Amino acid sequence: MEIFKTLPQVKFLKYKYIALIITAVIVLAGMLNIFVGRGLKLGVDFGEGTLIRVIFKNPTLIAEVRKQLEDVGLGNSPIQELGKNGREFQIRAVEVKNIKDENVLESHADLGNKIIAALRGTDGQSETAQGLKDLNSIDQKSLASLLEPAFTEKGAGLAEQVLSARKNEANQGAFADYADLSRDGVPAEVVTFLKGKTFLGKLNILSLESVGPQVGKDLRKKAVLATIWSLIGMLIYIAVRFKLANGVAAIFTLTQDVLITISLYSFSGREVNLPIIAALLTIVGFSINDTIVIFDRIRENQKAFRKMPLEEIMNLSLNQMLGRTFITSGTVFLTVMALFIFGGPVINDFAFCMLIGTIEGVYSTIYLACPVVLFWQKWFPSKRARR
Amino acid sequence: MKKGLRWKTLLTVAILGLCVFLALPIREKIKLGLDLKGGIHLVLQVMTEDALNGETDQEILRFTDLFKKNSITYATGAKEKPGKFAITGLDADQQAKTKDLIDQYTRDWDTSFMADRVNFTLKPTAVLFLEDQAVVQTLETIRNRIDQFGVSEPLIQRQGTKQIVVELPGVDDPEHIKDLIKVTAVLNWKLVKGGPAEDEATLLQPFGGTVPEDAEIVRGDPKRGHPGLYLVEKVATIGGKDLRTVRRGTDEWNNPAVSFTLSPEGGRRFEQVTGANIGRALAIILDNKIQSAPNINTRISDSGIIQGQFTNQEVEDLIIVLKAGALPAGIKYLEQRVIGPALGSDSIRTGLMAGLVAILLVMSFMIIYYRIAGINAIIALIFNVVILFGVLAYFKANMTLPGIAGLILAIGMSVDANVLIFERIKEERALGKNVPSAISLGFSRDFTAIFDSNLTTIISAVFLFQFGTGPIKGYAVTLIISLLANMFTAVFVSRLMFDLTIPKTATKLSI
Repeated sequence: MEIFKTLPQVKFLKYKYIALIITAVIVLAGMLNIFVGRGLKLGVDFGEGTLIRVIFKNPTLIAEVRKQLEDVGLGNSPIQELGKNGREFQIRAVEVKNIKDENVLESHADLGNKIIAALRGTDGQSETAQGLKDLNSIDQKSLASLLEPAFTEKGAGLAEQVLSARKNEANQGAFADYADLSRDGVPAEVVTFLKGKTFLGKLNILSLESVGPQVGKDLRKKAVLATIWSLIGMLIYIAVRFKLANGVAAIFTLTQDVLITISLYSFSGREVNLPIIAALLTIVGFSINDTIVIFDRIRENQKAFRKMPLEEIMNLSLNQMLGRTFITSGTVFLTVMALFIFGGPVINDFAFCMLIGTIEGVYSTIYLACPVVLFWQKWFPSKRARR
Repeated sequence: MKKGLRWKTLLTVAILGLCVFLALPIREKIKLGLDLKGGIHLVLQVMTEDALNGETDQEILRFTDLFKKNSITYATGAKEKPGKFAITGLDADQQAKTKDLIDQYTRDWDTSFMADRVNFTLKPTAVLFLEDQAVVQTLETIRNRIDQFGVSEPLIQRQGTKQIVVELPGVDDPEHIKDLIKVTAVLNWKLVKGGPAEDEATLLQPFGGTVPEDAEIVRGDPKRGHPGLYLVEKVATIGGKDLRTVRRGTDEWNNPAVSFTLSPEGGRRFEQVTGANIGRALAIILDNKIQSAPNINTRISDSGIIQGQFTNQEVEDLIIVLKAGALPAGIKYLEQRVIGPALGSDSIRTGLMAGLVAILLVMSFMIIYYRIAGINAIIALIFNVVILFGVLAYFKANMTLPGIAGLILAIGMSVDANVLIFERIKEERALGKNVPSAISLGFSRDFTAIFDSNLTTIISAVFLFQFGTGPIKGYAVTLIISLLANMFTAVFVSRLMFDLTIPKTATKLSI
């Protein structure tokens, strides 16, 4: 099967100026948005604060969750619904200000606990007072010691069974009803026993992450360093393998990759967390991959067609590689799409960033890497060409 | 079969077999990261100034002692800040003698003499050494405490100069663990001179309103039912380091307590002090808070109990920290992440789902587009994944959620090399080359492009690994391994499969 039956004849580089203008507009708009406009939303990794993920045993409205937080004066904490069944929410606790440096993390953590308490409300208080345990938040060790007296030497095994049922695909961390236990194969006598000793609290905490200001600062620094060093590494490698012009072009291209991706990402209103940096560096790697393949072909064609002007050689090479470019970016795009749709909330931002980057990486090879080499050769012609 | 081909086949089968052997059974061999397994991730900073502070205090005492012994007159020794102090009120005539004495006794401190004083500044190398030592000792103490607490496969390691990362899989009670790690656990027994009293004025009334030189004020721990202030002797009778064994015990009302035995030397001192002070109260002070202050009823020699209205849990924790030793410096938490087991299972489910869909999409595309050659590419792809798991298992690397993303992405990227080669083979065929030489040219001509492009991606992944933390490191590792494996599978293995299946005389190629 072929995408192109005959070699395509697109004059890619004819549009280089238009493309440069489009690029400039996107980057400018993005930078304006980041530095003057809404700014880049820093996630808990790079900012600071507390991030809570919680699952309710029954579907809950986001407005209800917000109301519970308003009651304790934390109504301005951003809340996000996750998953499709209306049970899972993510809450970012707002920053704690005016606190002595040493205690910042503690106060973030306290705020997290306060939010959890607010969400629970009065739920489970009377049951706890009667000495019942919350089966939706009990840990394995405690459950095992609860079961052990009644089911000698089976406590640990049963606890593991119950808790693995709690985290299965149907329950996702919280039982809605004791019938869920029976359905997942927990023996009837155990369920009866648990009914007498436990109750089903309204929620379970899936994760609770608090990050202090210093870590955010460290991570920001590390992210910038990682990006800069990998750009330098590539500049050196490509300058050695090709020519300086190619190395310089690659750096321009990669900088553009990062800038355009961040610009478009900033408009999405998504948060920047560590996986986004991973995505950016992967985009950089993927884009350079594409650039090198084209450079390699240009170099080969330059040997074969010594008289042909560089711009035409570039057009020819781009056309020759067009099928391959479509296919490889296509397969990566497909996989990233699978991640975007099925990968869950943590991976979703990463995949979104990669979706932008996959397309952008191809665009930057054609409309930045090649033009820069072209301009470079015009301004600094090699000795052989001048002769 | 040609001899070269036989060796290549053997090599491929051997590598594949090794990787399968390493990776199976997969549930045991591939370690899950904290984000998939659930657990606690803590980052803490060692307050190394504490160590400098302690060292400075000790040195002041040491030098003033030294001056006394050598009959050098001085007025006071005072700390200016950690690592810097001055001894004042010196006699100008004794300067030369003082200088000699100091030079003889220290190498770690820089000294400068002014009219009637000498300034001591800790040398930068000594500062670094002390700080480093504080971090190393803190790390060891924390490790001991966690080991005593009993967590399977904990990870406790240094990060940068002053930070320590603690990862505890399967633990979901952060406050308890944090307290257990954070308590400095400096334990002392000191004779009580006065108190308890509500405020300082009442406490000091019998002493004329000032703190006597050999005493200090210590606060009672309200948690133990001992609010208020006490005046205790500055010098401890015995301390945590005099303990030989500690275990769970009970006090006279059958409340949980910690019973201890003392080292011979500590026992002698304890016997002497308790014998001489029957009827007085002896305070048990943990981290500068009085836990209890029982009266001495009889001479005690080598064993006793620490009581203080403890719960069972508190007794257990106290035993752990006493066994593991005191922290040399305070610590401060910088980051705390608790991941519940349910979240991890959910991430694995969604990750596997995404991975499965991605693999199926890529595979069906390759077969539809490249037909039989597509199968070749798919086999290469499967080899790639097998090698990845084998290497991950060998290095005991953790699989994290971003790592799964990296794996899926690598699947998409690894067919790139195959596509490059296949497209080139098609081009060569279109130029009229016969099947074997088109295959040969396809593999040889694009090798540099494949090598360069994989290597540059590896460069960026290496820096990601270098600067990344936890889950991101997992991502970088997956990407690096898979790209390296890709150069082997897409170039070497795929070529081998062509050589094995396409006869030299073939005139048609399904590609």
